[in-house]
Amino acid sequence: MHKDRALWASLAVLALAGAAYALRETAGKGWMPGCVFRKLTGLDCPGCGMTRGTYALLHGRVAEAFSFNPVGMILLPLAMVALGIEVLGWVRGKPMPFRIKPGRWGATVVAVVVIVFWIVRNLV
Amino acid sequence: MWYYSRNGMQLGPLSTEELSGKARGGEVSPSDLIWKEGMPDWKPIAQVPEFQSTSGLSNPPPVGMGSIPMQQPPMYPAGYIPGSVPNYLWQSIVVTVLCCLPFGVVSIVHAAKVDSLLAQGDIVGATAASKSAKTWAIAGLASWGLLIGIYLIFVLIAVIGAAASGP
Repeated sequence: MHKDRALWASLAVLALAGAAYALRETAGKGWMPGCVFRKLTGLDCPGCGMTRGTYALLHGRVAEAFSFNPVGMILLPLAMVALGIEVLGWVRGKPMPFRIKPGRWGATVVAVVVIVFWIVRNLV
Repeated sequence: MWYYSRNGMQLGPLSTEELSGKARGGEVSPSDLIWKEGMPDWKPIAQVPEFQSTSGLSNPPPVGMGSIPMQQPPMYPAGYIPGSVPNYLWQSIVVTVLCCLPFGVVSIVHAAKVDSLLAQGDIVGATAASKSAKTWAIAGLASWGLLIGIYLIFVLIAVIGAAASGP
């Protein structure tokens, strides 16, 4: 158990909670910058729609959230949970007994899914 | 406290004395990976300073051929040691989904290569892919932070400008 690491992890959780609250209360008021890649190229990136999607999710509109970015809506929560477990291991100085490990095939599938999604969403 | 990896299993923790006892007894071979808190990565036990004096681990002195020292072949552990090289997959997904392209996608591709290379026993390649994944994820996050910072400064200037020119 590292106290300094615990402090950093708590600060990160607080920052995330603050960001979620700000998004829930103030999104749609036109102050958020949106996607830089989309502004420059006019194309959607694999993360486009996540601000609108998370906003919809925070207001309980699950179907709408998935319509903005289905892949991101699955991958982001999964990645957050997996990273949370890694951070807990980092705080206590020893990996947690239960970890989400995608393995060699899982990691490759994720990479392929993200790239295919990126291409397909710009074609349809 | 040391952890060691043998036949794809993570074992330990052991004290330095216990582990060097296992190494002397041949239960841990020179190429087995070990790790303790504070080490950035797993390392073959023969390359860890604490165990270099342990008999049975130190390499025999090279047999000289004239004055040219014989090169020892690099030692790679056989098989797949899960998690011995971090793949940064989750970090790269978060960076990608937070819209930091194209860096996030490059990072995911490198992250996906880490475990495949490990499965082939290519520790050097896996470590290089791991480093690339980390670098691209940080580059994505940093460029995103920079652009957001610039954007916020512009918004602030616009707000102050509007307030100053108002009635």
